[in-house]
Amino acid sequence: MRKIFTSLCGAVLVCILFVNASFAQQNIRGTVTDATSGETLIGVSVLVKGTTTGTQTDVNGMFSINAPANSTLSFTYVGYTTQEVAVSNQTTINIRLASAATQLAQVVVIGYGTQRRRDVTGSVATVNGDELARQPVQTPTQALQGKVAGVQVISSGQPNSQPQVRIRGTGSVLAGAEPLYVVDGVLTDDIRNINNADIISVDVLKDASAAIYGVRGANGVVIITTRKGKIGPPVVRYDANSGFSQLANKVKMANRDQYVAYLNDADPGKIKSSDAAPLTIPGTTDWYGAVLRNAFYMNHNVSVSGGSDKSDYFVSANYLTNNGIIQTNNFQRFTLRENSDINISDKLKLSSQLSLTRGADRAVPLGDTYNSIYRAAPIIPAETANGLYGNTSAWGNVGNPLLQINKTNTLNIGNRVQGNLALDYNPLKFLKLHTAFNDDVVFNNNRSYLYQYNNDASTFTIAGGNQRQTNSSLTAEQNNSYHYVWDNTATYDQTFGESHLVVLGGYSMEKFRSSFINGTRVNVPASPDEWFLSLGDPSLNALDANGGDLYTRQSFFTRANYSFGGKYLLSGTFRRDGSSRFSTRYGNFYTVGAGWVISEESFMKNQKIFSNLKLRGSYGELGNDNIGTGLYVVTAAINQPYYFNNGTLTYGSVIQDIKDTNLKWETTNQLDLGIEYGFLNNRLTGEADYYNKKVKNALTYVSIPGILGDPDNQYVTNAASYKNEGAEVSLNWSDKVGPKFKYSIGANLAYNKNTVIGLNGGQALQGGGVGGQGNVTRTDNGHPIASFYVLQATGIFQNQAQVNAAPTNTYEANKVGGLMYADINHDGKIDANDRIYAGSYQPKFFGGFNVSMSYGDFDLNADFYGNWGNKIYNGKKAYRYSPEDNIESNYANNRWTTSNPSTTDPNVITQSTPASTYFIESGAFLRLNNLSLGYTVPSELLKRAKISRLRIFATSQNLFTAKRYSGFSPELQGLDPNNTTNILSSGIELGTYPTIRTFSFGLNLQF
Amino acid sequence: MITSCIALLSMSFEGCKNYLDVNPQGQITQAQIATDPVAAQNLVTGIYNVFYIGGFAPDIDSFQFVIMTDIASDDGDKGSTPTDYGDALQIDNLQTPATNGVVNNVWNGYYQGIARTNQALGQLQTATFDATTKNKLIGETRFLRAYFYFNLVRLFGGVPKLDHVPSVSEANSPQLQTRASAADIYAFIVSDLDFAVTNLPDKGATDVGRATKSAAQALEAKVYLYMKNYQKAYDLSQVVITGGKYSLVKDYSLIWREKPSAAGDGGNNNSESIFEIQAGINKDCSAGINLYTVSQGPRAGNKYGWSDLGFGFNNPSASLQKEYEVGDVRKNGTIIFINPTTPTNSKGTVLFDGFRIPSQDSVQNSTYSYKAYHSRTAESNCGGNTDRLPKQVRILRYADVLLINAEAAVQLGNTGAATTDLHLVRARAGLPDVAPTLTAIWHERRVELALEHDRFFDLVRQDAVQPGRAAAAFAADGGKTWSATRALFPIPQAQIDLSGGKLTQNPGY
Repeated sequence: MRKIFTSLCGAVLVCILFVNASFAQQNIRGTVTDATSGETLIGVSVLVKGTTTGTQTDVNGMFSINAPANSTLSFTYVGYTTQEVAVSNQTTINIRLASAATQLAQVVVIGYGTQRRRDVTGSVATVNGDELARQPVQTPTQALQGKVAGVQVISSGQPNSQPQVRIRGTGSVLAGAEPLYVVDGVLTDDIRNINNADIISVDVLKDASAAIYGVRGANGVVIITTRKGKIGPPVVRYDANSGFSQLANKVKMANRDQYVAYLNDADPGKIKSSDAAPLTIPGTTDWYGAVLRNAFYMNHNVSVSGGSDKSDYFVSANYLTNNGIIQTNNFQRFTLRENSDINISDKLKLSSQLSLTRGADRAVPLGDTYNSIYRAAPIIPAETANGLYGNTSAWGNVGNPLLQINKTNTLNIGNRVQGNLALDYNPLKFLKLHTAFNDDVVFNNNRSYLYQYNNDASTFTIAGGNQRQTNSSLTAEQNNSYHYVWDNTATYDQTFGESHLVVLGGYSMEKFRSSFINGTRVNVPASPDEWFLSLGDPSLNALDANGGDLYTRQSFFTRANYSFGGKYLLSGTFRRDGSSRFSTRYGNFYTVGAGWVISEESFMKNQKIFSNLKLRGSYGELGNDNIGTGLYVVTAAINQPYYFNNGTLTYGSVIQDIKDTNLKWETTNQLDLGIEYGFLNNRLTGEADYYNKKVKNALTYVSIPGILGDPDNQYVTNAASYKNEGAEVSLNWSDKVGPKFKYSIGANLAYNKNTVIGLNGGQALQGGGVGGQGNVTRTDNGHPIASFYVLQATGIFQNQAQVNAAPTNTYEANKVGGLMYADINHDGKIDANDRIYAGSYQPKFFGGFNVSMSYGDFDLNADFYGNWGNKIYNGKKAYRYSPEDNIESNYANNRWTTSNPSTTDPNVITQSTPASTYFIESGAFLRLNNLSLGYTVPSELLKRAKISRLRIFATSQNLFTAKRYSGFSPELQGLDPNNTTNILSSGIELGTYPTIRTFSFGLNLQF
Repeated sequence: MITSCIALLSMSFEGCKNYLDVNPQGQITQAQIATDPVAAQNLVTGIYNVFYIGGFAPDIDSFQFVIMTDIASDDGDKGSTPTDYGDALQIDNLQTPATNGVVNNVWNGYYQGIARTNQALGQLQTATFDATTKNKLIGETRFLRAYFYFNLVRLFGGVPKLDHVPSVSEANSPQLQTRASAADIYAFIVSDLDFAVTNLPDKGATDVGRATKSAAQALEAKVYLYMKNYQKAYDLSQVVITGGKYSLVKDYSLIWREKPSAAGDGGNNNSESIFEIQAGINKDCSAGINLYTVSQGPRAGNKYGWSDLGFGFNNPSASLQKEYEVGDVRKNGTIIFINPTTPTNSKGTVLFDGFRIPSQDSVQNSTYSYKAYHSRTAESNCGGNTDRLPKQVRILRYADVLLINAEAAVQLGNTGAATTDLHLVRARAGLPDVAPTLTAIWHERRVELALEHDRFFDLVRQDAVQPGRAAAAFAADGGKTWSATRALFPIPQAQIDLSGGKLTQNPGY
């Protein structure tokens, strides 16, 4: 009956339909969209007038119904004007519903299903995909920044980095505090492979409604839905933009004179050899200028979508170049996506989604290099005209960062295939069976080559120092993983009079398997064509490693949603999760929720103030199993080397690590109370929530006595508990002024208080090592996670009498011009016992606001993001390796000298200067995250070119930041983002990739 | 359709009963190792491997142990830059608080070693070797356990006595957490060594590097010297001497070289070496003591301008330099002297391998330990990895045994034997004979064994024999103030806290 011819190029798809019209009953299909925005509407009731025959539109806004040719269809949707259409032998009916406000009608994705926003009892936020795609950033999470109340996003300027996301505070230290991502049903921790333009919506489950994801839902869930085709002829879209990124905020470093003056104080006598060229230069080296650059940004996106009553398709390709502002740091990504639905019969539908991503990341040795740029002496040249490098290390300083970058070649290539195949079967009108097999396959190929060079005059302007690479070295790694989730659900959906009941039951199984193999060889030839392990020296320092991971999960879940008269809402979720990562395999998780839509009550009908008013509440228990595999199994280390008989390598084994054999998941109990409101005919809408989230059995390190012989004298066990308590509020105002001017203003704000409420025998956790100062954060009872725990600096010694009267400083001798500290315990000496809690990086308040307006063909959009009430530790300033390290210009001007008796900044900062409040600064900032200006070319001009829409635009990401912090960026991801204990080093700036500013110009073209 | 779906689902349920039973990938579990027939042997080898730990972490014979023995004594100054490593400075100044990190690291390191011995002993009990092999392995294990406890008892006095693998639940039992008396620990050491002496094979009858009968005898002789049981000390050392398996290396400076001279003198496992930590160049550069050499290596300073060799700790003190008699060859075998910058064009210091250290204006400190030096050119290294240079630390050597024998002999009134022992040691050093008095032997011990991690213990021991010696020695070492309570280090505060206060602190802390 139907044939589809698909051209191999995938650019054109032609459908020829043969419809048999001889029956009185005929099948009618179509899409329901919003009359103004053109967005598809999900869950619209479609009823054959005068009968009980009806259906609802699906997630793509599509419906299919059998009705007599002479009947009338009625389309009803909350918040929209009901529309009736005579069938009159039409087989395709596309409807554009007019609405006063789309907010109420929005459908939210709640995990294994969707629900009308009005019926939701949990705290779920939805962000439209277009809002994300507008921003010139790589990841959808970064684009989420400031859009959702209670969702804190900490991004980095580093290409291909994953922003950190905290939903309602930091709820874990060792099991990870990142939310779970669900991309079209695939559960993942990494969404850097998603092309933002492919996203239709992002839904964030903030409260216990995430319990539908059980043992993985404790940190909230971010659900990403990608686009699908709509019924109609092929729509071809081309979106492109191109521009550049630059350092958003440069810290001015000392010039030659300031540096020399400082060094004369910090290391008297050192400077006498300073004039010796070619080691030094007479001017000032701008190290940031030498190492940083304006980086190229480019994004091309092509998609074709369309569909018929039997099938729809969406195909897209994306190419992204997102180079870093550090030289050589380049990133390119190519993605392909194909989403399609095929209606095999009226009752059976096959859906498939497939995405392929390839990324190539030329990474830089960031931590070291970035720290070295800051510290490099300004009197040493970076590189001379004849290609020789300044010898910073011969000056007793850091290694030359430019040389380090140029002598390292790292390339990480990632390939990822993510997709699913799903079958939906509706055997009965009220029953839907769904099975989906979701895959995520990753192949990575990484290599890093270190060029050989000596500390001689062929590399440097002068021989000497300790910066060299004695042997060239190649590390190559291949790793891969295969992850599948098989979901099976049955949904019962029935209306009885005024009651509407939806019951979901499901079973899911999940397996993850990964392996890596890597090797290192030295003396590999320098030509890139020869960068293979087999060309290295097999006898020297040759390392090989191979390992893997395997874990499984198995879950049973059910959810019931009940509403009466659209006024009274009840919901409940139960999930039983099994995880191979724990010796106690199974855990039970649940939520209960209730809502009352007051505005639907009859007594509200006559008032004009509230157009919507709803109260809702939820309570539930969620889990977090995000820990390494096999942590509860005592293992032995084999192949421990020892030598006998003057050179015979012998391998021994050791049983050493003490483990908690009863390890289990962390549990979070969360209460959420919310109110949703709309005023003035829904021109002003918003919601407010209060939540209280308690994590118990949180994994933490518990110290064990040294006599047990455990190598690190600690083990991981469920001991700690944390609390996040807070409130969120959001408000949106949208209106029109005259026929041409439309505008909307949205704002959201969240308050969160994080507290460690128990350690139960666990030790206070230390973290955030800053050079000689050691750990600067502490996680202990009664304080926020990773609070700064340092001495209290009280001023600067102005004279010898003050020095003589001061308590003994056990870190460095007190002297005039040095920092004074408070002797908190009054024992006459300044030592580790005098440390105080001095705030944390976790903000008290954070939020965003955005303004969008359009006047005729022009549109303007501005997104702001900010946070308040948090602290930053200026680790780069505190980290002193030697007196030769450079200083900031500001500090050089303000520091105490005999001619400038400063009361704020010490004369010198040495390797022995202890961690103190002197290095702590405010973390508050407000940023214009995105500013976009667009012009849509009037369609009359385009008709001849068969172009349906053309918009040109200019956009800037991070145009302007108001901040008090003196460093590069108030957005800090911790010292070691790949490490599980990274949360403990939150808010320390030390070798951080700085925030970038991007300018970009582009166009949106649609045929 | 429904039926087939249900069938599919029920099949999956059937197949999923064991779905969650997943073993850790690529790791050997404790249960697996118990069924491995060579496990016990591998666990014994695994004990030797514990010597490689160290650095700024738990430590047995590396940097932190050097701090607690040499830097703590009048032989070594802390070195490096004046402010570098405050914990080491506290120890150098005899002002060690209970919170000192070095003390905690060494405590933990030794108990790690002890845990490995107890793991192996547990496995050996059920092993199915022939009795000789089994007793030899138990002998090696008990020798090593004795060595660990001997250092612990000398550092801390009485400590918790663990003779088996404790479980986590047992960890808080008073029996484990409470300190045994020093006498108990010494008795425990003696019983381990008695077994080792009886069951270990002679040198030559076992792998080079494994504990031998002589090693057990030599160590036990030393233990008895500390117990003031001079007869046993004399007897055991005499057995080693008359056994004739050891002789002094002719050139003192060659004792610490990796390779013997062309004439076969010195080098690793030389004729004088009784027990020595073995090291080598394996593929991942993990078969060496972490940071032992590099922590004590010469450090660039002031003008810099050269690739230095280390962190510059443990500088031979002025007091040690004064101790050498004129003409004692051991002085230049023990100490690297940095030459002054004036007169101009000083050629600096050229080491045995031709490596030239610049003169003082480019070097942080003025003296360094030659015994810890490991040549980057003339001796092997692992692809430029300097953290784990394969330096084989000599733990027990024949000269020590001779001096133990001499001291015990003097205490027993047998000056004849003492004269012979002393003659051997002094003749090699290019010095004439002296009368065998306690003072002469103690002087000899200091210069012979300088910077070999013996001096602090020796001084405390001598002070117990002749009160006042320690005070005088430390007064002569930059005017440091000695008190009797400094003879033992504090029990680490962290460990006292973890024991819930069951561990008691040493007096004076």
